[in-house]
Amino acid sequence: MTEIEMQSESESKSKSRVNTFWGNIFSSNKDGEDTSHFELLKDVPLFSNLKRRELKAITNQFYKRKFESGEHVFETGQPGAAMFIVIEGEISIIAKRNNKNIELAKLGKGEFFGELALLDNSPRSADAIATRDTYALAIFREDLNKLMITLPLIGGKIIKKLAIIIGMRLKATNEMLSRKNENSKEMVDD
Amino acid sequence: MIRLDKERLKRSRVFYFLLTVFIFAVIGFLIYSMKSLILPTIIGALIAYICIPILDSLKRKGLSTAPSVLVILGSLFLIVFFSGKQIVQVIPDEKDQYELRVELRYKLNEMFLDIMEKETFGSEGNLLSSLVGEELYPVVEKINQFLSLSKPERNYLYEFNFENPSDSVRKEIFTYLKELDKLPFAEKISTTNQNILTEKGHELDFPDTKATIFLDAVSTWIVLPFVFIFLLIDDGRIKRFIISLVPNRYFEMALTTFDNVDDAIGNYLRGTLLQSSLVGLTFIVGLVLIGFKVDASILIGLVAGISNAIPFLGPVIGLGVGLTYALIADNVTPLIPFMGSEDVVIGVFIVVLIAQGLDNSIFQPLVLGKAVDLHPLIVILGVTGGSIIYGFIGMLFAIPTIVIIKVIISTFYKQLKAYYIIY
Repeated sequence: MTEIEMQSESESKSKSRVNTFWGNIFSSNKDGEDTSHFELLKDVPLFSNLKRRELKAITNQFYKRKFESGEHVFETGQPGAAMFIVIEGEISIIAKRNNKNIELAKLGKGEFFGELALLDNSPRSADAIATRDTYALAIFREDLNKLMITLPLIGGKIIKKLAIIIGMRLKATNEMLSRKNENSKEMVDD
Repeated sequence: MIRLDKERLKRSRVFYFLLTVFIFAVIGFLIYSMKSLILPTIIGALIAYICIPILDSLKRKGLSTAPSVLVILGSLFLIVFFSGKQIVQVIPDEKDQYELRVELRYKLNEMFLDIMEKETFGSEGNLLSSLVGEELYPVVEKINQFLSLSKPERNYLYEFNFENPSDSVRKEIFTYLKELDKLPFAEKISTTNQNILTEKGHELDFPDTKATIFLDAVSTWIVLPFVFIFLLIDDGRIKRFIISLVPNRYFEMALTTFDNVDDAIGNYLRGTLLQSSLVGLTFIVGLVLIGFKVDASILIGLVAGISNAIPFLGPVIGLGVGLTYALIADNVTPLIPFMGSEDVVIGVFIVVLIAQGLDNSIFQPLVLGKAVDLHPLIVILGVTGGSIIYGFIGMLFAIPTIVIIKVIISTFYKQLKAYYIIY
């Protein structure tokens, strides 16, 4: 990275620091855009088993956030509190192994990440970084827990779907691992 | 290009700094100008906070937010209306207060003379009188001074008596008043009262009626139901607005902090309400058992329950109100078989002891746990500071305010560490 690039990066950071608070106040993108949230959320697998009416009832539970290119959504080791759904832009999930950054996934519009935070506050296992300017919707664990109390039918459906998705992902990881094991065995045999 | 950007950044900083100062100045000015609305706003917010679980349970039953809030508001209105109606009937108005002061003053003096076994204040008494009589005399004089009526107040009472000459209770009051005028320090008290009136610069025209008190209160407290409704109907919009101002780096931390603080404050406030209600209920049951009238017991229980939120001083207030009533109450017939009507003062002491014992050993540990683990010195300083700023209401809200600030700071600190923002 050249000196000029480093300088411009640090200036963009200070610019974002200066503008964040007031920028957020004057921003026209407020959480009131429930209808656009609704259109996006109905295509998210986690909410696919919710009826139109049920989904509309929970659209106000989401927080809309804007991440600038290169900005962290969360970092490895931080306690997880929310799950994120990409509305626009791109998020890269990066795991740190032996001081190396391994990109586990690239997520685009409609895809979600950090879903384990909806179950407990265990530390994040990877970094999530916006690779370009990105808008995301976040749902907070405790809001989902409260939803289980106020609207238990909807809360129950979301949790059930979450369990199915996590189960499927675990299954896929197991299959990938066993394939890798077989491949390495074959290589040893050869 | 970089130079231009730097200048722009500098201008932005100055602009946002000035904007922040301006906004804070405007908010500060508005808060200062509308300081009489602070208390109703806080109380409205606290009631709304306490009612959140009720709102949640109504929502769970299938009602949406607006009808649920209406149901809660309607129920609260009915409770306040009917209990208020009862309380207003029991609360003495200005004229009754004058009569009570005369009666209390007369009975306290009688009691003092009885204990000292004296005929009059000037006569010889028993051993106790010769031992501590000299020391107690100024105290009795002070109490008499505190309870005595000013000239306009006496005139008002006389005028009322002329209008209702047949009332036997009032005749008794005037007998007391005449007796009190014979006291050795009566003239001194009357002079002091005159001085107080001259200092105030005006004489009492006529006492406040219930209607004027009600209208005065309405003009300030009308804000309370609005705060209550809008906070309950808000459905998390205020929280989302505040969270929307937080930079991304602190987003998850802010959510967790908000939630933890919300839970802790909610639990504390609901716990305090439950604890105060239980203490109040114990008072009511105890006082009814020792022979107090039911309506008087409810009023004293209410005062004792509310003031129980003030550490150390709360039980004293409950005891004081109970003892005052015990002194002026006529025809007290205890429901407890072995208790006589002359034991009613001891009965009040026992009721207060039982209420405090239950509060400290059962109610508080069960309801609040260790949520309010404040150092006693902080509690004393807080209560004293609260009383200096806002009087009785200040004392009442001092500890909840300190607890709320403590919870916010400690939660914020824990979360800042958990998110690696500070070491």
